[in-house]
Amino acid sequence: MVHWIIGFLFIVSGLLSSIMNMAPESFADNGAETVPELTLAEAAMGEGLKDGLLQNQAVAFSVGLGRVICYSSFDPVPQRSFIYHNWYYRDRLSTRTRLVLMPPRWNTYSYIQLREADKGPWRVEITTEEGRLLRVLRFSITD
Amino acid sequence: MIAATASFFSAMRWQDVIDILINSYILFRFYVLFRGTNVLRVLVAIGFLWFFQRIATSLGLVVTSWAIQGITAFAALIIIVVFRNEIRSVLQAKNIKNIVWGLPITSVSAPVSIIADSVFDLARSHTGGLLVFPGKEDLGEMVHSGIQWDGKISKEMLMSIFWRDNPVHDGAAIISGDRVSEVGAILPLSHRNDLPSYYGTRHRAAAGLAEATDALIVVVSEERGNVALAKGQRFSVVKNREELSQEIESHLGIASRQNAFLRRRILELGAAAAVSLLFIGGVWFSFTRGLDTLVSLEIPVEYMNRDQNLEIIDTTANAVRLNLSGSGTLIKSIKPDQVRVRIDLGKAVIGHNTFSITQENVSLPPGVFLRKVDPPNLDVTMDNPVKKELPVQVDWVGKMPENLILASARLDPEKIQVVGGSKLLENIVTIYTEKVSLENITKSGKITVKPVLYPASIMIAPGSRERIIVEMEVRSVAPSVK
Repeated sequence: MVHWIIGFLFIVSGLLSSIMNMAPESFADNGAETVPELTLAEAAMGEGLKDGLLQNQAVAFSVGLGRVICYSSFDPVPQRSFIYHNWYYRDRLSTRTRLVLMPPRWNTYSYIQLREADKGPWRVEITTEEGRLLRVLRFSITD
Repeated sequence: MIAATASFFSAMRWQDVIDILINSYILFRFYVLFRGTNVLRVLVAIGFLWFFQRIATSLGLVVTSWAIQGITAFAALIIIVVFRNEIRSVLQAKNIKNIVWGLPITSVSAPVSIIADSVFDLARSHTGGLLVFPGKEDLGEMVHSGIQWDGKISKEMLMSIFWRDNPVHDGAAIISGDRVSEVGAILPLSHRNDLPSYYGTRHRAAAGLAEATDALIVVVSEERGNVALAKGQRFSVVKNREELSQEIESHLGIASRQNAFLRRRILELGAAAAVSLLFIGGVWFSFTRGLDTLVSLEIPVEYMNRDQNLEIIDTTANAVRLNLSGSGTLIKSIKPDQVRVRIDLGKAVIGHNTFSITQENVSLPPGVFLRKVDPPNLDVTMDNPVKKELPVQVDWVGKMPENLILASARLDPEKIQVVGGSKLLENIVTIYTEKVSLENITKSGKITVKPVLYPASIMIAPGSRERIIVEMEVRSVAPSVK
């Protein structure tokens, strides 16, 4: 009889401990579904694009190239959203480009046309629509 | 003339009046302290030398002027070295009150009451005595063998001079002012026949000198213990002290002489005071006459009373130009450290502060006046220093060699900490490096560059690196895609 009772208690405690260990995951799974965050997978400055790929990634560009590209790749993109490429010349905002992102992943870019007066240090700040800073790319326009 | 005088006095400031009075009084005190000594004479000589030097300078006598200047400078040294004992004795003999205030107008006269007391004490003790009070005539030829004494009169001294065991007690004591100038003096004896027979040698000596001069002689009889006095042909016994005092005072003319002495002394001191005043007034006038000399000086601005939590970030000017006027002598003698421009930052606040530079901000030597300040206002930007961590960016310039690109550049450290005014640092988000040329970069590698801090009030925070290591990656590329 005692053996039966001890055996029963073991079984009950085993079941309880399994339930307790599983509980957090079970509750998480049962709650609101986690929305994956918009993530910037890659960003770089380059001379151009070819077949959707950034060409000649660099940190110094000759003004003679005519333009410079800021390329950004997002993965994942949970929902349709917007990001900004903010172009600064010597800490002064030069231009701001609003770019759309489509799920599930999206590559996008902006560029500026180069003039002689643009020589000097630049940076591009990539931000979300809400203003969250995702990446800063620093480069120079040179001779 | 009256108008010119009125204009001159109206141009004087109260400070000028005090200036002249103080220095006149100092000069007057010099006279009072050193009158009668050689120091004063040499000082007067130096004054004359200075005066002649000024004349020589104004006449353009270069060598004479330099020579007198040298002598004057040397004479001042001579005074201190040669007359050090006299200076010391004057300063040691007088207390502070006498040095700065006292006037030597008390007269030196014979202490008649002491003499009268002493004479009657001698008479009471039957001690013989013979005292001579010279009149206006010189006694030199009549009095012989006297011993120089020059001791101040006191009852004890007179008693001791005529003490029987004193070798000089038989002679006469000559009284000059408040001193016994000679003792043991031998007087000529009288040949008169009308003198009482009991008069001894002492009385005959008194009568002899009285007959020959205008002196008053007091005799104390050793035998009878009485007091007699002789003057001219008169020889009379004196009954009491009052009578003796009266006779002596009458002979010396103390009351009238005292008044005359005081008048003369006051006149002398008054003249000295007037000369001092005129002299210093003249010196002042020679220094300050004419305000037609102008000079322009650039003086750095000094800031005071800055709040320890605030720093000067920027100013519109670090120095101001002052246009000053004054006499040529004063303007020429201005030294740079005598002119200062100070601004009180006690009430300065964070941000822009405008200060007007007025007379109150400028300290000048006496007699020099401020005419103009350029610029009249200064803007001072104040801020409280804070630390801020800022990213560093390389300022690339030039052109990479053909078919090479600078693919990446990794900075170590990527950020540096700087210190500067909070308002200033609010607007600074990047620290750029010095310009780095791409011309000679042909392969990957490392270079060290310096950050450029602008404006200059920004500094790298202690502990933060002052050199940035840039690790470069250089790649070969095909002709660029456009």
